[in-house]
Amino acid sequence: MATRLQFENNCEVGVFSKLTNAYCLVAIGGSENFYSAFESELADVIPIVKTSIGGTRIIGRLCAGNKNGLLVPHTTTDQELQHLRNSLPDQVVVQRIDERLSALGNCIACNDYVALAHTDLDKETEEIIADVLGVEVFRQTIAGNILVGSYCALSNKGGMVHPHTSVEDLEELSTLLQVPLVAGTVNRGSEVIAAGMTVNDWTSFCGSDTTATELSVIDSIFKLREAQPSSIVDEMRKSLIDTYV
Amino acid sequence: MRLEKCWFCSSTIYPGHGIQFVRNDAKIFRFCRSKCHKNFKMKRNPRKVKWTKAFRAAHGKDMTKDTTFEFEKKRNRPERYDRNVTENTLMAIKKIAKIRTAREAKHIENRLKPNKQKKLNDDMKELDQNIHMVQAPGAQKIKVDVSEKKSVQNEAMEE
Repeated sequence: MATRLQFENNCEVGVFSKLTNAYCLVAIGGSENFYSAFESELADVIPIVKTSIGGTRIIGRLCAGNKNGLLVPHTTTDQELQHLRNSLPDQVVVQRIDERLSALGNCIACNDYVALAHTDLDKETEEIIADVLGVEVFRQTIAGNILVGSYCALSNKGGMVHPHTSVEDLEELSTLLQVPLVAGTVNRGSEVIAAGMTVNDWTSFCGSDTTATELSVIDSIFKLREAQPSSIVDEMRKSLIDTYV
Repeated sequence: MRLEKCWFCSSTIYPGHGIQFVRNDAKIFRFCRSKCHKNFKMKRNPRKVKWTKAFRAAHGKDMTKDTTFEFEKKRNRPERYDRNVTENTLMAIKKIAKIRTAREAKHIENRLKPNKQKKLNDDMKELDQNIHMVQAPGAQKIKVDVSEKKSVQNEAMEE
């Protein structure tokens, strides 16, 4: 089930946080409310790390990552890099990239298996993405926008893209990514999907402006209803009973 | 806090010092003082200006290849903090710095040895005069004496 929250009266929660299947980054210096919303959902499952990147709080737009690794831009200071390395689990590789484009979150959209990348990224950067995140990289645009990271939110279960994406594009992207996609909005019609929400395989956080309709679309495409612990138990029980019979 | 190197003279820039220029392709040029900045604005090549590190490296004045240079690098993939490792590193830094200065001094000493040019000339001379000693005898070209054959033909013609 998606959670609605705000960051200092701002609904763009995807900008101030980064959620993956192995860790969650939240902006430092925000109100404790924002942080505790994440903690109540995720505390005993994955580590939640408060950090800044390059002295800024817009960490969700500056870094890209999944369960295998985390990429941070060249503006990241040595202290921040060390802090991230010390707080994240050992199997997560942390790497700083010497890339001209420093808003990696806007340029890269990824789940644990595939990534869409900005068309102007360096060749070396593409290799590093494939290597560190363990993904297959495709250079793509979404509805004519080159900032694929801003206009698309991905998890291993599904994805949501810019509302103006044509049906053909949607099909092409969904065959590339091997997950079902839907065109939609967050925050009462905002087109920048990834800025308005952040998602992983079992939970999602949206800006507090998000309408009930938008929430239900998010829940259904990212399969968040089924991801509840009770549903997993139900499924197991069914199979157990099957074996009994 | 990172101690950057000056783009022009390669000296260390401490926080609060110098100026930095960002070109429109996002390349960053840092300068330790106005002297270096002005030289950059004059479009001078640091390799051709005698007082820079780049000049000294390019002209063999300073030691450039050494294992002690391998330690001081910008690393993009950090290691997890470990108190013991850090302690050892801090101890090692001093030792390595000592070794490096010693090696640099040795390099300059070697470079300034008095009869260096004479030695080089002698070696070149030896190479010029006695090259046959290192060549394999089989590898030398066998000269075919054409002139003799010709003369025989000529004789026949004359007869």
